[in-house]
Formats: sequence, C-alpha cells, structure tokens
Amino acid sequence: MSPFLTVVLKVCLAALLVSGILCLYRMLIGPKAADRAVAFDSLAAVFICVICVLCIQWNSVLYFDAVWILMLVGFLGSAAIAMFLEKGRVF
Amino acid sequence: MPTLAEVIVALLCLLGTFLIALTGIGLVRFPDVFCRMHAAGKAGTLGVVLVVLGATVHFAGTEQDVWMRGVLAVFFQFLTSPAATHLLARAAYVCDYPLSERTAVDELRRYLPSRPDQVFNQE
Repeated sequence: MSPFLTVVLKVCLAALLVSGILCLYRMLIGPKAADRAVAFDSLAAVFICVICVLCIQWNSVLYFDAVWILMLVGFLGSAAIAMFLEKGRVF
Repeated sequence: MPTLAEVIVALLCLLGTFLIALTGIGLVRFPDVFCRMHAAGKAGTLGVVLVVLGATVHFAGTEQDVWMRGVLAVFFQFLTSPAATHLLARAAYVCDYPLSERTAVDELRRYLPSRPDQVFNQE
C-alpha cells in the first residue's frame, strides 16, 4: 500500500471520529425519542464506514461481513422504534 | 506513486467520509427532527454507499466473492435506509413532534392526523 492511501485513510478515520462524536452528542441531548433514533441510525452508518476503512487499512476482508450485521441492526432498530412510536406496539 | 485503483479507492473514501461528516454536522446544527432526518437520511445513505464501494474496489481482485458482498451491501442499503427514514418521519409527525418555527408550509396536516405523544412525551 502506498503512503498516499495510508494518509488518506488516516484523514478518513479522523473525520469519521468527529462525525461519531457529533452523533453521540445529539443522542445525548436530543430532546425526544425520534432525535435519538435518527442519531442511532447515523451512528450505525459511521460504524459501517469505520469498518470499511479499517478493512482497507489492514488489507483484510475478515471484518467485511460486519457491514451486513450493522446495516441489519440499524434498519431493524429504526423500524422498530418508529413502529413503537406510531402505534404503541411493534407488531 | 499510487496506482489508479488506489486513487479511485481514496476518492471514494474521501467523498463518502465527507458526506458522513456533513451528516454529523447537520445532526447537531439543524433545528427540528425532520431537518435532522433530511441530513441523516440522504447524506448518510450516500456516504455509506461510497465508502463500501471503495472497500469493494480495493478488494475486487483478491477473493472470489468480496465484490459480490460489497455490491449486495450497497443494494441492501439503498433498499432499507429510505424505508427506515420514512417510517421514522411518519412516526414523528403522527406523534406531533414540534416543527421548527421557521416552517412556512405544512401541507401534510390536512391528510395525516396527529395525536400528542403519550409514550415518550417526557423530555
């Protein structure tokens, strides 16, 4: 791997760290439940990006399947919270 | 000297990370929950898709099925993320979450009745 790509991946990780901290801040102060659900959804997106960038940096596909799991957890969590907010029950 | 594939991977990762950072800034800066969903729904989806595509391009020639996993993950993200955002926005609207005071038009009010939030009404 060239030094160019290494530097680029370091910059990406720093930006993702800042974005994750901002998401956690909104999750902490968010006035109501839907704000926190939105922050949770984008925190899952940040984690997916961190996993992809680390896969490129370590040059291994070992953790690439975790992308699927995080996508499923984010989608199902958001959908369940939305259903619960709207109807008072999930199903 | 970086090769062409590395330049493509770097561009995809930088663009996706930029969009994810915009999502974080929008989550903190926007006034009400629907504006925050606007930031998190669109930019978050496209950012994730670009970064996963970057990883897919990087691992494209190494193993047999890595590119397929990446492309399927992109497809799945495009399938699920708008649905989740739509469900959350509808639930927030039905639960009578407050709009920003700079909201000019609210055309949905005629079609979608809302009730006060009983489950999560506490701050």
